[in-house]
Amino acid sequence: MTRALSPSRFAPLLTSLAAIAAALVLGGIFLALRGKDPLAAYGVLVSRGLGTSYGITETLIRMAPLLIVSAGLLVSLRSGVWNIGIDGQLLVGALLAGVAGAAIAGQVPNPVMWLIAALAGMAGGLLWALVPGILRVRWGLNEIITTLMMNYVALNVTSWLVKGPVKDPDVVPPQTRLISREMRLPDVAGTGVHVGLLVGLVVVVLVTILFRHTVIGFMLDVVGRNRQAAIHAGMPVNRLTLVALLASGAMAGLAGANDILGVKGLFQGNWNPGYGFAAFALVYLARLNSLWLIPFAYFLSFLVIGGEMMARPLGIPTYFVEMLEGLMLLCFAVAAWVERMRSPYARAEEVETGPANAGEPPGPLISEPLLEPVARVAGGPS
Amino acid sequence: MAQALGQPNSPVVEMRDITKRFGPVLANDRVSLDLWPGEIHAVLGENGAGKTTLMNVLAGMYQPDSGTIRIAGEPVRLDSPAAALRRGIGAVYQHFTLVPNLSILENVALGAEGGFVLDLAPAEAKVASMLADFGLDVSPRTEIRHLALGQRQRVEIIKVLLRGGRVLLLDEPTSVLTPGEVQSLLDLLRRLRDQGVAVVLITHKLGEALAVSDRVTILRAGRNAGDLGPDVMSGADRESVRARIIAQMFGSSPAAETDDSSMDHLPSVIPTPPRVIPTKEESRRPSRRRPEEPRFLADARHDRGAPAAARDEPTSETLLSLRNISTLGDRGAPALHDLSLDLLRGEVFGIAGVDGNGQKELGEVIAGQRPVTSGRVLLEGADITNRGVAAATRLGIGYVTDDRLHEGSVAESSVADNVALKSIGRKPFSNGFWLNRRAMEQQARRLIAEFDVKTPGPHTPIGMLSGGNIQKLLLARELALEPKVLVCNKPTTGLDLRTTQFVIRSLREQANAGNVVVLIASELDELIEISDRIGVMYSGQLVAVMPRAEADPETLGHLMLGGARRPRKASA
Ligand SMILES: Nc1ncnc2c1ncn2[C@@H]1O[C@H](COP(=O)(O)OP(=O)(O)OP(=O)(O)O)[C@@H](O)[C@H]1O
Ligand SMILES: [Mg+2]
Repeated sequence: MTRALSPSRFAPLLTSLAAIAAALVLGGIFLALRGKDPLAAYGVLVSRGLGTSYGITETLIRMAPLLIVSAGLLVSLRSGVWNIGIDGQLLVGALLAGVAGAAIAGQVPNPVMWLIAALAGMAGGLLWALVPGILRVRWGLNEIITTLMMNYVALNVTSWLVKGPVKDPDVVPPQTRLISREMRLPDVAGTGVHVGLLVGLVVVVLVTILFRHTVIGFMLDVVGRNRQAAIHAGMPVNRLTLVALLASGAMAGLAGANDILGVKGLFQGNWNPGYGFAAFALVYLARLNSLWLIPFAYFLSFLVIGGEMMARPLGIPTYFVEMLEGLMLLCFAVAAWVERMRSPYARAEEVETGPANAGEPPGPLISEPLLEPVARVAGGPS
Repeated sequence: MAQALGQPNSPVVEMRDITKRFGPVLANDRVSLDLWPGEIHAVLGENGAGKTTLMNVLAGMYQPDSGTIRIAGEPVRLDSPAAALRRGIGAVYQHFTLVPNLSILENVALGAEGGFVLDLAPAEAKVASMLADFGLDVSPRTEIRHLALGQRQRVEIIKVLLRGGRVLLLDEPTSVLTPGEVQSLLDLLRRLRDQGVAVVLITHKLGEALAVSDRVTILRAGRNAGDLGPDVMSGADRESVRARIIAQMFGSSPAAETDDSSMDHLPSVIPTPPRVIPTKEESRRPSRRRPEEPRFLADARHDRGAPAAARDEPTSETLLSLRNISTLGDRGAPALHDLSLDLLRGEVFGIAGVDGNGQKELGEVIAGQRPVTSGRVLLEGADITNRGVAAATRLGIGYVTDDRLHEGSVAESSVADNVALKSIGRKPFSNGFWLNRRAMEQQARRLIAEFDVKTPGPHTPIGMLSGGNIQKLLLARELALEPKVLVCNKPTTGLDLRTTQFVIRSLREQANAGNVVVLIASELDELIEISDRIGVMYSGQLVAVMPRAEADPETLGHLMLGGARRPRKASA
C-alpha cells in the first residue's frame, strides 16, 4: 500500500490514524482497569464533545492557540530545529501582550490595541527564542537543552514580574490588569468563538504558502532534511536555523497573546497552559504537513474539552486526556517506525545509514551533535 | 544455523521470474538468476537496469511482487534480511552498516543469533583467526572507525560469513576502493569461491567482471538480457566476450560494433551515444549527434592540440589560482598545506591521490565550501578567498561532490527540487522570494531528457532513483549552470560504461569551451585519458604536476604513495 512511488498523498495519515486508534484502545484498557466502562466513557466524550453546541464552541476556542503554536513548531521542526521551548515563549509573549494591551486599552481603538498586544506577544516569544538561537548558531549549543531550560527561566521570570513590577496593584492575587470583556477579541459573527480561530487558520495557511511557494521555505526544508546538502548548496544554514527558531518563538508568543486577548483578559501568576506537548503530538500526527494540522487540532481540542466534560460526571481523573496525548505520541513513534521499516522508500542501500528520514520528523533527536563544526562556511560573506 | 545448501551439481539459489514494481517503474520484470556454489557470478547492466533491486529481493530487503526463490531446491519466502541470512544469504551494501565506534568484534557479533546476550569471548578467537585469514592485521577489539574503507568492507564480509553465509551479495563493492584494495578484494573473492561460497558481484567495471567471474548475467531495462556461462567466460578471447557483454547490456547487435580494443575502459562499441549538452540556444532545438560523427575520443585528442599550444602565455590564460593555501579537515587536522596551483583556461586538470590526502578538501576550497586558514583563491585575478559557496556558485564555480547521497542531494526531495537546489534564489527558479515551480519542473524535465535519466518524472523523490541516475543528475545540475570552473570529485562512480563515456566527453567539451575542469579521480587510466595535466596529491600537498604525456600509472602510483618527486616536476 505504501509501495508506490507517490502513494496516495493520504497514505501517511494512516499511520497517524492507527496511532490514535491504538492510543484510544490503550486508554480504554486503562479505564477498564480502573473499573470504568470504557465504551460508556468514550460515549460520553463524543456525545458531550461533539453533540453539544457548548462542546463544539469550546473546542473551536481551544483550537486557536493550538493551531498557532503548532504551525510555529512545524516551521522549526521542518527546519531540523527542535524547539522544546514553546511553553516558555508562550508565557513571555502572553505576559507582554497582557501588559501592553492593558496599558493602552481604552486609549486607542480596540483593533489597534489588539495589534499592538499581538506584536508585543510575538516580540516576547521571539526574544525568548533568540537566546537559544544565538547560542546555537554562534557556539553550536544544542537547542534542545537550551530551549528546555528557557522554559524554567520563563516560568520564574514571568511569575516574578507578575508579583511585582507589572502586578495590578488594585487586586490581591498576582496578575496583570484586566482587559475588560468588551475590549477583548469579538466573536466570529453568529458564534461564540472569538476571532482568534481565524488568526490560527490564517497562520496555518501562511505557513503552508511559506513551504510551498517561497524560497525561504524551500531552503528551510532543505536544511531540515539534509543539513550537509544545504551547506553544499551554499544556503545560509545558520541564518536559516535562527529564522526557524525565531519564527516558532514568535508564533508561540502570538498564541499567548491570543489567549490573553480572546479568553483570559489578564496574565495570572500560576497560569501555564502547557500547549507545547500537545503541539508536538499535533505536528507529528499531521506528518509535518501544515494543512493537516487543522483536523488534528480539532480532534485534540475535542479530546481535551470532551475529556473535561466527561471526567467530572464519571469520576475519571482529569489527567486522562493528557495521558491519551502521551499515548498517541508513543503509538505514533512505534507506527512511524513500522512504516519506515516497511517502506521501500528508504532505499535499501541507505536503510542503515539512513540519510532519508522518509518524510519523518527531521533531524535525529539523539545523535544531533552537541557541537557542530563552527568552522564551516555556510555561504555568504564570513 | 545455516543449512547445507545443496550439492555442488545443483544451484544453491534459483530465482525464477522475479517481478518487482515500484509504482510506475518495473524494476525487475520476470528476471531469473541461478547461483551455483563455488562460483563468482557477475550481474551487469546499465544504470537503472534493476541490479540492486534484484539483489535486494534476494537479500530479503524487498518482497517480489511475483516469482519464486528456491534455496537448495526448496521454495522460500525471504521476508527480512535476517530471514535471508538464516538461509545463508548475506549482502554487503555499498554504504556500510557497521557501527563506527564499536569494535570489530562487537559489530560482527551484534544482533547475531542469540540476540542481545553479549558474551563476546567465544567469538573473539574465531573473529581473530578470520581477520588474519583475510589479511587484516588488526585486533578484533579495534574500533571500526580506525579502519580504512577497504578494511571495513572485509569486516562486513566476515560478518556475513560468520553467520553462516554461503551466498554473498556485493553491490558495486569496488567503487569505494583504491586500485590496490580492488585487487586484494578480487583475490579474496576467488578464495571464497574456492571454499564453495557463491558470490554475486554487481559492478560497472567490466575488467573486474571479466577477471574474476565464472558466469555473467546481464540485465537490461529490468529483464534478463543475456547469460554467459563458465564455458564462455573461461574460454574465448577477452575482447569478444567484452564486446558481447556490452552489446547485450546496451542492446545493440554485435555486428554493429567496431574495433578499437585499445580503449580498455572506454569501449567505443557503445551504440547510440547520449546526447550532447546543449548550450542555451541549442536547447530549444536539441541537435543530436549522428552515429557516424567522429567519436569523442578522437575529438578530444584532436582538440587537445589547440589549448596546449596556446598555453605558453600562462598569465592571460590563468583562470583560477590557488596561492599558498592551507586548510583544516573535518576533524580539525591540517588537510592542505601551502598548496599553490594555477588552472589554465581550456584544461582538464586531473588530481590523483590516495583518498584522504587532501583532494576532497582542495575541491571544497575551490567551491567555497571550506574556508582556508591561510592563502588566497583568485578567480580571473579577483580575490574570492573564503567568500562561501553561494558567491562561488554565482561567480561560475561548480562542484560535484563525491558524496551524492549525504551531501549532493536531498533524498526525500523531488528531482525538480534537487535540480534547483544550488540556484534556488535566482532566476528562473525564483524571483528571490517566490518560487517558480514551473521553471523548476521544466528544467528537471530538460535535464532528464538530455542526460537520459531514468526516473518516472520530475516529482519523484531523488532518493528513489538508482545510484547512477542520481549521479547523472548531480552532474547535469552543475553543467546546466555553465560554470567557468568545474570541480568533479569521482564523477563517474557507479556509472555504467556508456554514461561514463558521456560524462568524460561532457567534461572534455566543458574544457574545450575555454573553461577549467578539475577532475579528482581514483581511476588512473581514466584520469590520464582525459586530463591535460595531472597533479598528484600526497598528505595535503601537490607533490608533482606533469603534462599528460609524462603521466603513466606507474609513475603516478609511485608518487601517490609518497615516492620521491621526479626531477622533471613541472612548476605549479
Ligand atoms: N525503492 C524504490 N522506490 C522506487 N523506485 C525504485 C526503488 N528502487 C529502485 N527503483 C527504481 O527501479 C529501477 C531499478 O533500480 P536499481 O537500483 O535496481 O538499478 P541498478 O541496476 O542497481 O542501477 P545502478 O547501476 O544505477 O545502481 C530504477 O528505475 C529505480 O528508479
Ligand atoms: Mg544499483
